[in-house]
Amino acid sequence: MPKCTINGKEVEVKDGTTIIEAMYGKDGEWPEGKVAHYCWHPGLSVAGVCRLCMVEIEGNPRLQIACNTMVTEGMKINNTSEKVKDAAKWGLDFHLINHPLDCPICDQAGECGLQDQYMEFGKYNPEMAEKKVKKHKVVDLGPTVVLDTERCILCSRCVRFTDEVSKTNELGIFNRGDRSEIGTFDGVPLDNKYSLNTVDICPVGALTSKDFRFRQRVWYLKDAETVCNGCSTGCNVKVYFNREGFFRVKPAYNPDVNGYWMCDEGRDLYKFVNRENRWLKAKKRTYNGIEEMMPGAAAKDASFAVKSLGDSVALVLTGQYSVEEYESIVSTFANDLKSKRIYHWISNPEKANDFDGLLLRGDKNPNTKGLQQVLQKHGVNTNWADLLSAISSGAIQTVVVAGPENQAVYADMKDKIRDLSKAKNLIWLQTGRNHDLEALTGNVWLIPMKSYVEKDGTFVNHAGLAQKFKKTTTVVSEALTLTEASDLLAGKQLVIKPETNVFVESEKPADRVTVEHRKKNEFVFRRGTL
Amino acid sequence: METKLLTEFYHLDEFRTLAGYKKHGGYETLKKALKMQPQQITDEVKASGLRGRGGAGFPTGMKWGFLPKNNEPRYLLCNADEGEPGTFKDRLMMERAPHQLIEGMIISGYAIGSKKGYIYIRGEYFYPISVVQEALKEAYAAGLLGKNIMGSGLDFDLDVYSGAGAYICGEETGMISSLEGLKGQPKLKPPFPAVQGYLRKPTIVNNVETLAAVVPIIKDGAAAYKKFGTEKSAGTKLFSLSGNVVRPGNYEVNLAYPLKDLIYGLGGGMRPGRKLKAVIPGGSSAPVLTAEEAERATMDYECLAGMGSMLGSGAVIVIDDSQCMVDMLGVLTHFYHHESCGQCTPCREGTGWLNKVVHSILEGRGRLQDIELLLKVADNMKGRTICALSDAAALPVLSFVTKFRDEFEFYVREGRSKVRGVRHAEMHH
Repeated sequence: MPKCTINGKEVEVKDGTTIIEAMYGKDGEWPEGKVAHYCWHPGLSVAGVCRLCMVEIEGNPRLQIACNTMVTEGMKINNTSEKVKDAAKWGLDFHLINHPLDCPICDQAGECGLQDQYMEFGKYNPEMAEKKVKKHKVVDLGPTVVLDTERCILCSRCVRFTDEVSKTNELGIFNRGDRSEIGTFDGVPLDNKYSLNTVDICPVGALTSKDFRFRQRVWYLKDAETVCNGCSTGCNVKVYFNREGFFRVKPAYNPDVNGYWMCDEGRDLYKFVNRENRWLKAKKRTYNGIEEMMPGAAAKDASFAVKSLGDSVALVLTGQYSVEEYESIVSTFANDLKSKRIYHWISNPEKANDFDGLLLRGDKNPNTKGLQQVLQKHGVNTNWADLLSAISSGAIQTVVVAGPENQAVYADMKDKIRDLSKAKNLIWLQTGRNHDLEALTGNVWLIPMKSYVEKDGTFVNHAGLAQKFKKTTTVVSEALTLTEASDLLAGKQLVIKPETNVFVESEKPADRVTVEHRKKNEFVFRRGTL
Repeated sequence: METKLLTEFYHLDEFRTLAGYKKHGGYETLKKALKMQPQQITDEVKASGLRGRGGAGFPTGMKWGFLPKNNEPRYLLCNADEGEPGTFKDRLMMERAPHQLIEGMIISGYAIGSKKGYIYIRGEYFYPISVVQEALKEAYAAGLLGKNIMGSGLDFDLDVYSGAGAYICGEETGMISSLEGLKGQPKLKPPFPAVQGYLRKPTIVNNVETLAAVVPIIKDGAAAYKKFGTEKSAGTKLFSLSGNVVRPGNYEVNLAYPLKDLIYGLGGGMRPGRKLKAVIPGGSSAPVLTAEEAERATMDYECLAGMGSMLGSGAVIVIDDSQCMVDMLGVLTHFYHHESCGQCTPCREGTGWLNKVVHSILEGRGRLQDIELLLKVADNMKGRTICALSDAAALPVLSFVTKFRDEFEFYVREGRSKVRGVRHAEMHH
């Protein structure tokens, strides 16, 4: 455990710690002052090529790079001297002399490493008066990523990512000197399940996501941390949103779960949260036709088919809701309604234990473990075949289904709808639209649910790690959580929470639309972390 | 006077064949070395004061001493990627005496405990490559390489690897990358090659001349070798004399040989009517000396370092008063811009920047502040990168601009060369 002095303050670090790691702090707080850097990334190997993280070490006449210098006992490190500042200034200027400075049309503007670090360490009097090097502007690297080689500062982070993390080796640096360009080999595009991480770690706007580019300026986006609901890994993610909806998902650092990365699949999950893919109102279908109503009203309306039928009511649960919701709905059904017919809808059971070695798991539910724990706690032990036979025998009259949020991974959706709709009454609780459900005939209630970004809760991941997540924003304010739905279905008085006060009015005419009032100027400028 | 320790028989065509080499005492030293302990050889080399002849001048014995003391496999690499502009001594050595190099390598390999060596030869050196390959065949056939060399039980294999034309592969870690089949880019240090080099195994990289010099050191002993040169710059060295002299060529002299004797004596002096203006004493990366400095300089590591330049690879480029220094700097900045590997930002961007500024001046678009800018940019490229190419690009700029500032200022003000009277572009028409 060597002790060193950083800017006059004594710090003790673990053996084998580099200077930049010692200065980085736990999660990038830079407690002893920030060190300028581009190529160094805590999740990748050391390249030592940007030459920005120069620090002064007492007794060494030459500046040393902090990323490749180990801390030794008694080392005296300084990064506030004029010499160090000058090195960073010129280092940044070298980065910028051939950079196109097309910030007004660049997607990275607002969260750009060049912008941020130039503000902090820059020289402010550019002296480059020569023509800049011209390179390729729109290089299609693969299905997810576009490259602008002029913006690239050749930090090699993306190359090291494909080399070390995804281990797919699609990217390389071609040519040499200031003609160097990132590129792929002919016929081998950047196409792997983690490709968009290269966009995250790109400190400039060279790599942009095809999905996100040109869709929003980042200063119009707010971000919030939550837990990805794409699979049972439970990666910690940041979702970016504004009043127009959600626009992207990026990984948030958690050493116990996902480190610095996430998969490309998880990045698409913001889409089913947005209004265009959601049920905004409940639909009640009877033999008289379709009636649109407020979700709360629909749940109350459907309660007659639930509350007094006892054991002829079945509950079907998918692994995409929070532990708290499971707890309340299962206890409501088991204790209040005295129904032991609670079933776990397992999609793709044969793939449930698949794992690609990095993050992606075959179980596409974020909370299968949580659901199992709750079912076990309440002594529920049922199997799917019983449900089907009980429906066909008429022993079950009402089926309440908590459908999946991410329907794309439920390949058996159609089959299950067909099977379950054989019951006399079907109450389907779900976030997103589904044409098969909307086309059903008979007594059907389709009730919109809140998505995972709109509620507080807990997911238990594949390893049994319980992760709490917080509500980030509201997309469909009228939608219900599973807890609220179960209370209403059981005929209980709804416990009104401040953010769910729309339900007070839910008994008023169904065509009344409640508009959620937001604060104006809610967009705060967030400096992107590099 | 030349001191022909290595080049004594270079004038004989037969010296490049095994038979001819043996006739003049070849492989006798190997026999002697095989009777010594490896550590004795290393000690002898250490005592001889032999310093790396490739450019850096690092003491060879000390370099060998950095190897870990264990039985890990290790490699001996010969750096024959002679790319430093002005240098052509390794070519001569490989063409005229390939067996000298092979003998030196077997002895050195024995000393450091290596069983495998490579000779990394510059790709453009087609002829030297073929000569060395031919010599390797002969040596293998005669049992001088391979298993159980000369019945001593020593195994040593040697191969030729041809470079692909990058100057940067002359840098030792760049060469190792290239040899590993990677893009020829220098590696981050630490770890140093002696600890983790070729294929992440301990590796020693030495220049052709360094390895060849091991032969006379072992043959006559360190004390005999130390008689040449000075205490800190011992032995002889080949100097590649080029530029505006009457008799350019390779000359082997003892270190600390006066530069003026090299130019005016062995080199035959200036062309009639011309005066010495400047000398680049150690390859294009070495800071230039003015005529006045060149008169005083002796060709050893200390004297040239004391003058702010370096001995480098021993390539002496003589510049007379018909040359325009701005023009010459344009050639050099173009070279370094073309050869920067592009890994480290200061070098990748800086070499291009310097080249553009110098060419702006050459094309008559120069601004007076450009001269100051050249100094600033070069100053900030120095000592900021993984390898020394950035320094190598910056040092000529710094020395040319400081020592011949009047020529640069004239060029900027008048838009033409002070020496030639015309602009660079007009000169070529």
